[in-house]
Amino acid sequence: MGDPDMLYGTTLSAESIKVIAESIGVGSLPDDGAKELAEDVSYKLKKIVQDAAKFMHHAKRSKLNIADIDAALKVRNIEPQYGFTSNDFIPFRFASGGGRELHFIEEKEIDLSEIIQGAPPKIPLEVTLRAHWLCVDGIQPTVPENPPPLSKESQALDSVNPVVKLEQGMTKDTAGKPATGKLHKLKNVETVHVKQLATHELSVEQQLYYKEITEACVGSDEPRRGEALQSLATDPGLHEMLPRMCTFIAEGVKVNVVQNNLALLIYLMRMVKALLDNPALYLEKYLHELIPSVSTCIVSKQLCMRPELDNHWALRDFAARLMWQICKNFNTSTNNLQTRVTRIFSTALQNEKTPLSSLYGAIAGLSELGSEVIKVFIIPRLKSISDRIESHLQGTALSNTDKIAAGHIRAMLQKCCAPVLKTIRNPPDIVEEYKRDYGFLGPTLHQAVVKARNAPQVIPSTSINSISNNSAVTIVNAPIAAAATASTLNRNQGPLISSRAGSIEFFSSAQTISPQIQRQVSQTQNQPGQQQKYVIVTQRPSTPQSGLQQSQMSSGLQQNGSNPIKFQHSTSLQGSASTVYCNTSSVEQVGPPELDDLSHLE
Amino acid sequence: MSLSADKRELLAVLKLIRRYNLKGTEELLRQEANLAEDADDSAGTDVDCVLSAYEGEGDPEIFENAYAELRNFVEESLDIYKHELALVLYPILAHIYIKLMQNGHCDAAKRILEKFGPEQEHYFQEDIQNLLQITNRQQLEGSDLVNALENEKFIIRMSRDTLSLLKRHIQDKKTDTISQIVNKHLYFDLYEGVARSKGQCEASAGAMTGEAKRQDNKVRVYYGLLKEVDFQTLTTPPEEEDDLDPDAPDKPKKKKSKKDPLFSKKSKSDPNAPPHDRIPLPELKDADKLEKMKALREASKRVNLGKDSLPSVCFYTVLNAANAVTCTEISDDSSMMAVGFADATIKVWSLTPSKLREMKPADQLKEIDRDADDVLVRMMDDRTAETCRMLLGHSGPIYRCAFSPDRTLLLSCSEDATIRLWSFNTWTCVVVYKGHQFPIWDVRFSPHGYYFASCSHDKTARLWATDSHQPLRIFAGHLSDVDVVQFHPNSNYIATGSSDRTVRLWDVLTGNYVRLMTGHKACVYSLAFSMCGRYLASGSSDHRVLIWDLSHGQLIASLANHSDSIHCLCFSRDGTILASGSLDCTLKLWDFSKLSEDYASQTANASHNPDVKDGDVYLLRSFPTKSSPFISLHFTRRNLLLAVGMFKS
Repeated sequence: MGDPDMLYGTTLSAESIKVIAESIGVGSLPDDGAKELAEDVSYKLKKIVQDAAKFMHHAKRSKLNIADIDAALKVRNIEPQYGFTSNDFIPFRFASGGGRELHFIEEKEIDLSEIIQGAPPKIPLEVTLRAHWLCVDGIQPTVPENPPPLSKESQALDSVNPVVKLEQGMTKDTAGKPATGKLHKLKNVETVHVKQLATHELSVEQQLYYKEITEACVGSDEPRRGEALQSLATDPGLHEMLPRMCTFIAEGVKVNVVQNNLALLIYLMRMVKALLDNPALYLEKYLHELIPSVSTCIVSKQLCMRPELDNHWALRDFAARLMWQICKNFNTSTNNLQTRVTRIFSTALQNEKTPLSSLYGAIAGLSELGSEVIKVFIIPRLKSISDRIESHLQGTALSNTDKIAAGHIRAMLQKCCAPVLKTIRNPPDIVEEYKRDYGFLGPTLHQAVVKARNAPQVIPSTSINSISNNSAVTIVNAPIAAAATASTLNRNQGPLISSRAGSIEFFSSAQTISPQIQRQVSQTQNQPGQQQKYVIVTQRPSTPQSGLQQSQMSSGLQQNGSNPIKFQHSTSLQGSASTVYCNTSSVEQVGPPELDDLSHLE
Repeated sequence: MSLSADKRELLAVLKLIRRYNLKGTEELLRQEANLAEDADDSAGTDVDCVLSAYEGEGDPEIFENAYAELRNFVEESLDIYKHELALVLYPILAHIYIKLMQNGHCDAAKRILEKFGPEQEHYFQEDIQNLLQITNRQQLEGSDLVNALENEKFIIRMSRDTLSLLKRHIQDKKTDTISQIVNKHLYFDLYEGVARSKGQCEASAGAMTGEAKRQDNKVRVYYGLLKEVDFQTLTTPPEEEDDLDPDAPDKPKKKKSKKDPLFSKKSKSDPNAPPHDRIPLPELKDADKLEKMKALREASKRVNLGKDSLPSVCFYTVLNAANAVTCTEISDDSSMMAVGFADATIKVWSLTPSKLREMKPADQLKEIDRDADDVLVRMMDDRTAETCRMLLGHSGPIYRCAFSPDRTLLLSCSEDATIRLWSFNTWTCVVVYKGHQFPIWDVRFSPHGYYFASCSHDKTARLWATDSHQPLRIFAGHLSDVDVVQFHPNSNYIATGSSDRTVRLWDVLTGNYVRLMTGHKACVYSLAFSMCGRYLASGSSDHRVLIWDLSHGQLIASLANHSDSIHCLCFSRDGTILASGSLDCTLKLWDFSKLSEDYASQTANASHNPDVKDGDVYLLRSFPTKSSPFISLHFTRRNLLLAVGMFKS
């Protein structure tokens, strides 16, 4: 047992009694008197609180309130202290000074005229009854009124603590499912412990839901998509479908990044966002699918058909924000998530050959992770980045695309570095020094820093990050939705731009195929001579083609070694869906998508 | 100290009389006792001595050493005796504290209790804290706990061997300190046989004044059910039946076959049932008979529950109540729900489509044809139909409501120390029952109507009849608040649960307690009788449900899986499942049929101190709510479980 003092409570001190005596005008209370009073008052107070606890219990509460104290006083035939009711918890404040330490309740002055003239308080809502099924024949339905079948804590525990899982394996988790005699029998018969195949059944309703949701999320009906995302973000009973959802997203990103279908990538990222926002889900187990997808959307070389026109920057920013959210939610000392993510970005930053769009993504990703990350990883690289983008911006640029990219990089750096530079550099800001330290970007940064210094209250980038999720969503979603619609509208008319490294030739005709993501796709136009690609996303694992394709992809990867950031799908991902190319001859020409290789994540 | 003990006591009484300013009595007593006016001045200081039963000095050192020796002796004794011996430690320590306090060694007393207190069992810690709050002699008088310890003997069940061991130790030490306490304040309930194990000791320990004596539970309890009225003799017009039952065509035949076993079971007289006229029960009125018929018909449609067929649960959430719901109650036929609030209002909801109506005013009632078949319907004023009605009258939080079996009356008890009877015909308060001195925690209607029981902070439970202002019985004996009361299905007994951590069963006929059951480690907040009347379940703030066999007052099982106080318990109508709802926002279903079967098979080879069954094997399922603690549970006649909770914002 602990310290008996802590265990058995304490009494009011004689000093407190003296202070109280002073406050009612008794100046010199003798020490003995104060001590005697302190003991007596403590005893009586404890008695009253004890009685009050009885009233609390009988009101079926676990929080003592003032009415309980009043009732306890009444029981002892003492006049209750009227007028002290308060709906809120009133904290004690602490003050010390003059050798005295005091706890007191802050009493604010109330302007009576304000109360009189102000609007009358709202009438409290009528007490109502609401009925729902807590359980039906022993099974708790997953309706919003019920808590999620697997609480977030247990989901978290499940994914973080392997021991729990082991124990669960022994006592097969039957929550929500009636115990069937069959299962019981099996257990008795089995003597050899064979690891059972993980059966993962979805009910018909769940399958329907999955179909509806995925179709709505990537379909063209924006209001419907809103509803679907809303459902993903709020429904409590989704965790059983989570593996499918995550695979859907991962596969979707893989396919659409090859096709440069910006709109769909944006839709998929919004799905990730919705899942992340769902308070009942814990995504830790599925990060191996989500992180490659999200980082692809941040640093992929090309995300859209016309890099110089489409706003793929919004997608990169949005995905970077998602990455920050993932890091914030799931970073633990064992998975070192943030460290690993930071490493991906910073290696991209350090590579001189990184395409500018990827460079932008890496900077965006890093800048979301907070000022400390900016200070350590971006600031030291400023000079070399300057050197790279200088040529593109100074008019000698080879392509318009690069010029735009360089401009975005400059704007991004200006935005994210200024607040950090402000803190690490001392006030006299001299343009020359900036130029010397940061090269081409020097003057721009100087300007931004000076501006930041003059502004009365600058919100540092970290505090922007700490804006509550909801507001962040609304801010970020607006441009990204706009970008999505813009790109879908224009997709078919734009001139073809072949990307620099891996030229993608099968988009040579203006007629682009828009298979995007289709469940059990049935696209059967056969146009011989035209290189066309059919994408079939199925839920069946491992067809032979997938292995073929994987090897092809990795061979393509070697051809295209210039890609600085490599993500490699883990094979388990590969197995859960397969992409089939009908026209195998074209595959060689297909530059592999530059999402790959998260091997250093594992 | 020259005065004789008698005289000093008289003086003390005189002083008390003076304190309450009863001049006449004082004069009389003074004359009777031949006491001079001046005597009581000198007696002033003696009063406290009289009130404190102890005399002499008593050196705290001696007590401390004696206790330390006793503790060492217990520690070093053989394992088989150890746990029983350990039971004496707490009461002796508590009495040492009280004794030292009475002798004015307050600091020493405090020091000793703080030193040895933490090593006592966890369930005595609260009491030890209460003792420690007392810092001087005056406060001793005001403490319930001290009074209980002083006036009641602390009861410990002990095997003969263990006791002789203890006695030898006390004699060896030759210090009369401990032996005085043991003689004066401990009572050993001796039994032959092997000393109990740790688990067995712990199972029944924990009450404020020790365990129950075997003597306490000797009286025979008629726990059987009363013979139901023979329904064959009831005359119900067939068209009435059709009215009540829209899907009637094939009903009559089916019912006959179905009801027969029900009747045969009921008509067999239970050897454990009390005689029908043991207590006078109200005559069945026509309306009651109709109600019984309806109940029986509903019961024939009942779902049989069990391990593989769990009930459905419908959860009613009270919204926008701002933490003010103090109690809820659902009528037996599940048509109405009453909710009591902390602001002294009661709201009654209709849970069926039929609305709550008021009776027509008197002049309109006169015009109604009294012989009409639907006179009861005609009496009601359709214009007043509402789904929710409010009852105002109390002046403090409502702690419990109870529907009368015929659903025309509602009882409510409140912090204002009154019980009110409300009529559902007029929707007004009909009677105010005053009698309890302090807030009333619980009120329950007898299953047969007419009688009701209440319990209060004043440490009593009382039995009332609806037509009397005075209580018929006062059940006094609990040492602290009586927190919950429950009628036995046969109306001959009531069970009470108290803050002194005991459960008692009282005979309504004699007013004596016939069972005293100890084992709870904290206040008892809910009670439920099993359908067969033999078992009693009690839920407590020690987070456990204990199941008792009333035939011997034995603890059968301890169901521990909750993590907060259990405020509602309910048996399914077929008695197979026990549902418990707690403040931890979970509802748990327990397999009671398995439990009773296991118990029955065990009693065949009953040993002297049967082991208490562990709960987890009987737990069937647990259902959490989002953030609504359970306030009440109710099985409908068809075995649908209704639960009520308030959303905790």
